[in-house]
Parts: sequence; structure tokens; C-alpha cells
Amino acid sequence: MTRSRTLLVSLAWLALACACTGCATVPVRAWQRERLVDPIVAFRAEAREDARKMKTWEAREGSTGGIGGAGGGCACK
Amino acid sequence: MQVTPRLVPACLALGLVAGWASPATAQFLADDPPRTGTLLRWFTDSDRVSVRSLSGHWNTPLRSASGLNIDFNNERVVVPAISAPPGTQEAVDAITTASRPIAGNAFEDFVKVRNEVQGDYGRGPMEMSYYVSSESDYLAQQVGGRWNKDIRPDARNLSLGGSWSWDAIQPLRDDDTQTSAASKNTLHWNAVVTDVVSPTTMLRYGVEYNLVSGLQHSPYRNVYAGGTHVPERHPEHRQRRDAFLRVTHALPNRSSVKLQYRFYNDDWGVNSHELGTRLSQYITRGMSVRWEYRWYTQTPADFFRTEYVDVNGINGYRTGDYRLGDLASHLFGGAVRMDLDALAPTHNVMRRLSLWLDVERYFNSNHYSANVVETGVDFRFP
Repeated sequence: MTRSRTLLVSLAWLALACACTGCATVPVRAWQRERLVDPIVAFRAEAREDARKMKTWEAREGSTGGIGGAGGGCACK
Repeated sequence: MQVTPRLVPACLALGLVAGWASPATAQFLADDPPRTGTLLRWFTDSDRVSVRSLSGHWNTPLRSASGLNIDFNNERVVVPAISAPPGTQEAVDAITTASRPIAGNAFEDFVKVRNEVQGDYGRGPMEMSYYVSSESDYLAQQVGGRWNKDIRPDARNLSLGGSWSWDAIQPLRDDDTQTSAASKNTLHWNAVVTDVVSPTTMLRYGVEYNLVSGLQHSPYRNVYAGGTHVPERHPEHRQRRDAFLRVTHALPNRSSVKLQYRFYNDDWGVNSHELGTRLSQYITRGMSVRWEYRWYTQTPADFFRTEYVDVNGINGYRTGDYRLGDLASHLFGGAVRMDLDALAPTHNVMRRLSLWLDVERYFNSNHYSANVVETGVDFRFP
């Protein structure tokens, strides 16, 4: 697979995800988020752990990434 | 495209100024409750390499909707001595292709200590970070910035981040390589979107881009090529990019499932796919268990060969690094977490403590396996 074709495939996946979620998202008010902030559900609760694990496995495999630099918000403001 | 000294500060400054001037729409570090914690981690693998990590973190909200986070980590890495009998061809091969420095000490363990510190400061929608890592032959530093904003209130958040890292590499004395001091620079960007799909489901997806330049091979490793051994040599530039998608969903009966996928590609020819899942369940009030599985596969780099017929390798590059070869891996993990406030809700200290234990088993198609055990404690300040 050529480099540009590979990049296109990944961008197509991203665009598809954006399109799908753009249709699907509806405002979820603060009082409806009790389940989403639960530590076993929230992305944020595992951000530090994810960064640590990424560092471990990128030293033993040929790739990196997948956590967005531990970035990302909660769309809760 | 090459990383130039002018390009980097320009990109970072633009991002930081833009973020600082924006309204305070999200205050992540400032919103975190003050807490501290420590973690002990043991890593052992089938090559008998062991890593002991002792780390800690502390974060506190500050005035003016700002917050501060400090992380530190101390690691002790032990690379075992060459186990083959001295003088045998097996020992010679092991010494020649070792990725550790060997200066007359091949039959002794090589031990090194790494110390890392990271500080993050957040104010309004902005976060800035500085990271430094020091070990006997490597000094790494990084500055980073991140900005985020709710672009659809109560539904979608956009985060943009970037960092610049500069590493100084000072190889230790080695009997069969003479790599001189070198450097490595990395410019990183990412864009991450988080969507709240429903009261029980969130999506996170994004793209990341890394531009790496400088020394990217082991300064200690030799490669057999053309009937002799010559120092490893990788290209000095590498463009690395990935796109990822994560989904988290709260299930009935106090459980949750998380799924993730990542596609990675670089200009060395490595393409990889990663799939992961985590299933969590509360088994009593304040106590949860988690099961994890991760599958990973990658294609080899263009210049990777198990044998090189010519000393020039492929276009002048040659590697003995199995991480650049064909690879597939599996990881299984289990974790248990306990918030002690469920046991002692009125005790002033106990109710602020959380304990956890995480065990992982990793193995890959290169006959390599590893075990990781983590245990930690968190304390939430009043």
C-alpha cells in the first residue's frame, strides 16, 4: 500500500467517524452525565494510565500514538 | 519536510497565543480536585530485562481558574549480562548485536537509572507542559501546549495540541561501536474531538502527526551484513502519523465497555493496526474490576531484512531492531480498584484513599513476552 493511499484510508475513516457522530450527537445536559463521569466510563480517568502504557509499548513495537497527547475535553462546559 | 528551528517556535507560539486569547470555555486542570498519588510498577520480559518504576503525581487548582500538575518518575532498568559461555560464537554474536553498551563488561548486568519530571499548568482553555528525562546517555526535554473548546455546547469538544522535544544523546563507551554525540528532535501535533452521543456513550477520535529528525537507531548495536558486522543505521528523518477512534459506553448493572482502534503509518513503510477493549464492572460499592485485551499488528519497514547480503543494506540503511519487522502482539490484563470511602465513609483519611492493582501479560510473534504489575494509591485532599 502506498504512503498516500494509506493516509487517504485513514482520513476516510476519520471523516466517516466525524460524519456519523455529527448526525448522532445531541446536547446532553450536566444532570444527564452521571454515568459518563463515572471512573469506569470516563476517558479522563484513564488518561494517565493510557499515556504510561503507550510509552511502554511504543518502546517494544514500531508505532506510537493513539491517545492524542492525552488531550481531549468532555464537551461539558 | 524537515524540522527547522524557526518552524517549531512559530507553531507553538501561534497555538499558545490563540489559546490564551480565547474565552475560558474549559478549565481542565483547574477543575480537577486536589489530589496526590504514588505508583509502583514492575516490568519483566522474556529477555530477562526488568524495569522498576516508582512514580508520583500531585495536582492542585490555583487562583484565576488555573491549575498545576506535577509528575515524577524514577526508573531502574536492568539489562542482564550475556548468558552464553565466554569465547563461544554465541557469546560473540550476542555481544555484537547487543543494544546495550559493552565495554569489557559483557558478562555483568548493565544497570541504568532514569529520572523524569513533568509539570503542566492550565489556565482557561489552555494547558502548557514541560518535561525532562535524564539518564546516563540520554537527556530528553519537551515543551508542549494544548487548547480546547466546546464547539457544540454539551455535545462536542475540540482539542488541539502540539509539542517540541529535543533530545541530547551521549553514547557510553562501547567496544564495537564509536557513535559520537548526537541529537534527536520531534515536532508533534494532534487534533482530538470528543463527542457526547448520549447520556451513556461518548466518542473520541483524532489524528496525530510527528516529525522526527536526528539519531533514530541504537548507538550500540551492530548488524550482520555482507558477511561481516557493521553499525546499525536508520534514516535520520521520519514522518509518523495516526488516526484513532475510541468509544466508551456505560452498560446497565454498573458496568462499562470501551473500544478503541488506531491506524498508524510512517514514511519508513510501517503500517499498523491496533484494536483494544476494556470491560469494567463494579462488584460492590466502591470496588471495580476490569478486563482488558489488546491486539496489534504491523508491517515491516522498507529497509528491514532478516539478512543483508550487502554491507550497504537497503539504500544505505540496515537494522537489527525487531520492532521494525513484521510483528503481531496480544495483551491480556486484569485490574481491581477500590475506593476506601465505601469501607470507612466517616474516617477522615480512609475515605479519601483509592487503591488499585493492575496485572498484564503481553506476548508477540517475535517469541517475546512480558509481564507488568502495577499497584498504586491515590489520596484526594479535602
